[in-house]
Amino acid sequence: MDIFTRERSKSTPWIHFDPQKNHLQIKGESYPENSAKFYAPMLEWLDVYLSNLQEQKVHVDIELIYFNSSSSKVFMNFFDRLEEAAQNGAQIQISWMYDEENETALECGEEFQEDLEHVIFNLLPIKE
Amino acid sequence: MNDDVQSFYHQLQEKGIIFSFSGPISQSLLEGIGHTLKQKMTLEETSTNIIQKVFSIFVELMQNIINYSAQRILTEEAEEDISYGVLIVGKEQEHFYIISGNYIHEEQEDILQKKLSTIRSMDSQELKQFYKQQRRQQADDASKGAGLGFIEMARKASQPIEFEIARIKNGYSFFVVKAVI
Repeated sequence: MDIFTRERSKSTPWIHFDPQKNHLQIKGESYPENSAKFYAPMLEWLDVYLSNLQEQKVHVDIELIYFNSSSSKVFMNFFDRLEEAAQNGAQIQISWMYDEENETALECGEEFQEDLEHVIFNLLPIKE
Repeated sequence: MNDDVQSFYHQLQEKGIIFSFSGPISQSLLEGIGHTLKQKMTLEETSTNIIQKVFSIFVELMQNIINYSAQRILTEEAEEDISYGVLIVGKEQEHFYIISGNYIHEEQEDILQKKLSTIRSMDSQELKQFYKQQRRQQADDASKGAGLGFIEMARKASQPIEFEIARIKNGYSFFVVKAVI
């Protein structure tokens, strides 16, 4: 399986999903005009990746400064897919990284954390 | 001509209007103005939290116009959607506010009325639950966004969101929203 990657743009984050390292990273801001359309290829990739997943531990690093409401829906969908894989025995560890000055980013992480049971979901402040 | 423009400019300033735009709106315009707005607030040493809230409501209202304005340029060839509306960012009594206005189709009136009235009646806990519940629901067919935008705005605003819908002829209504941060 190939690496899935997207360069950062003004309104979309850097995405780097490495299937060999089992390391999925999203970093930046997310407020595209049509979030569902923008993230569709990423979710398709994820479905294939998760269906081939064996015993490996998966690390998911998310560092989002800001995301709009339609991106929030996509990320819930993204986490729900990881949650389902975890429920079926996969070891999935999500690190939600936020700037300590950015209360909103922390609250958003907490609200995802509250809605997920089976994945390990850590909130990590970024040290300057 | 100079007098007219000057008096218009001063009127805007007297009302505490930082920024106003009326005309064709697109995602790239949103990105450009959004960046300047953030820079201005940062230079004025506005707190990170307020900047985030203002920016968030700004994005939701701009994308609302882009996705739902009934007055738009429809072409397959355009790089991006262009829709018409008006957006105002200002400050009154130490609070930032954002107002948007655009035409909608008459039949959208009831849906908006219902949705916004419900949101206005909710406290912060109810808004949080409603947000989470809507986030996990499939998007409505009419919705290019996630139907979450107004809930998000209400959660970021410091006062209930104000809105007015005025019936215009020919099957159109004019929809105005105001959020105070």
